[in-house]
Amino acid sequence: MLRVEGLHKSYGRVVALRGVDLEVSPGEIVSLLGPNGAGKSTLVSIVAGLRRPDAGTVFVGGVDALARPKAARSLIGLAPQDLGIYPIVTVRQNLTLFGELAGLRGRELRTRVQEVAEALLLDDLLDRLAGELSGGQKRRLHTAAALVHRPRLLLLDEATAGADVETRAQLVALVRELAGEGSAVLYSTHYLQEVETLGASVVLIDKGSVLARGAVAELVARHGGSVVELRFDGEAPVITRDRPGRQPERDGNLLRIPTAEPGPEIAAAMTAIGAHAARLQSVEVVRANLETAYLAITGRRYKPGEEIERA
Amino acid sequence: MSPRACLAVFRHELRVLRRDPSTAVFVIVMPLVLAALMQRLFKGTLVAQGVTGATGAEFAVPGMAVSFAAFGIGYAGFAFFRDHGWGTWERLRASQASSLDILVGKVAPAVGLSLIQMVVLFILAVPLFGLSVTGSWPALLVTVFALALCLNAFAVLLTAVARTSQQLTVFASVGGLVLATLGGAFVPVEAMPGWAQAGSPVLPTYWAMQGLLDVVIDGGGLLDVAGPVAALLGFTAVFAGLAAWRFRFDEPKVYWG
Repeated sequence: MLRVEGLHKSYGRVVALRGVDLEVSPGEIVSLLGPNGAGKSTLVSIVAGLRRPDAGTVFVGGVDALARPKAARSLIGLAPQDLGIYPIVTVRQNLTLFGELAGLRGRELRTRVQEVAEALLLDDLLDRLAGELSGGQKRRLHTAAALVHRPRLLLLDEATAGADVETRAQLVALVRELAGEGSAVLYSTHYLQEVETLGASVVLIDKGSVLARGAVAELVARHGGSVVELRFDGEAPVITRDRPGRQPERDGNLLRIPTAEPGPEIAAAMTAIGAHAARLQSVEVVRANLETAYLAITGRRYKPGEEIERA
Repeated sequence: MSPRACLAVFRHELRVLRRDPSTAVFVIVMPLVLAALMQRLFKGTLVAQGVTGATGAEFAVPGMAVSFAAFGIGYAGFAFFRDHGWGTWERLRASQASSLDILVGKVAPAVGLSLIQMVVLFILAVPLFGLSVTGSWPALLVTVFALALCLNAFAVLLTAVARTSQQLTVFASVGGLVLATLGGAFVPVEAMPGWAQAGSPVLPTYWAMQGLLDVVIDGGGLLDVAGPVAALLGFTAVFAGLAAWRFRFDEPKVYWG
């Protein structure tokens, strides 16, 4: 449904995308995972036809989206990262506009507005002004506007950013349901836990490049062993590991020890750090999950809000 | 261009206008009030110019109609800036509506508002101020329609140039004032200093006033307003051409308020 090849995009001297390739099949949820500034929104906006890439191709449902953007847009539903609703008209009028823009009219339009409102628990609020909704309700309306015309490719850019727990759960459930009905979903997020809940294929993007891709379980199995992290007051000491496996890595005041057996590893480390124990501030076990996979792939802990410095 | 998508944007703009009708009320009521206040001021001037039986409404009404149409040039621009402020601009661009659909759908209500404001003023001025339109009403309608088109094409040009809503406010305020005063809508051109009289014809409002005064005072018909209307359409073409050259739909604009 979506095929992206060799996508490059720079903003002046800042490189946002460096040759990104991506595919999303009908019924598949692909989670675009990466910290702020990784290039996720740039990728989504190019697919949606809002920006032109410097190089590369984008095909949506077999349509060349760069040559025929309008034809491609008819297949796409976009919920951008920033909230986009009309606060001074009603929920119904918001949904009606986006339905009409997609070519819906009459009974079909009214039915779809009702359906999508019900799916996102907005049906009791249809005649309320959008500006009077709570934050979570606004976020649901924002997403609903992307769904009203049953898009074959759904682009959700940080759909749950700033949403409350209930809204987040509803959106995630809805995305799974839509994929079950055959929509292809590109779901950009920086919440690791959400990706694990979605059961999506993951495309890990960082500094404008795709670092890894695959199902969550696959990535965790391939890259995500447990890690013991020792945090020191000041620079972490150099220690040599006498147990089998990878050697510890130092990162400022952090000492990371990849391991399959965290308990014995901690005991051994306590001996190995010797007098540095006086400077030891904390010991943390990071269990094998997407986070440790991220750590293994990028060499640093995942911090969702971090801004990436790009050259 | 897709008429359906364009109509969807147009209808939505009307919904927004209905929710906040303050602008519409202002541009319809204020010219009536000012025309009432200024009517006697212009009576003497018109009589001195040889307009027998003048009530003053013959200048006050066309003058206020043109002035308030000029003062309203910011309205069309705010229809664009609002969407940037509400985060809906990117959504519109990602929809099936083309750039032209969005532009026409957003500007058409502003053209309609200008038209309604001017026509309502002329119609109400007949019983309220004793206005007598000696010429052809169709000629009057053609002239105000050409002016509404022209001013809103200028509004799109201002929107294309402005990067922030603050800039648009300044451009629209100064632009509206210049168009109204130097165009001869607030003060008759003949009463202005020589340099202002010389510069007046470079403004579209001058031609609108010429056409309207011709219809109201001199019994002008469609043929008589052909010149002013052609001038207005010429200005419209220039403004629209410059706007098309300068307008960047992917340019982020900043909205405060």
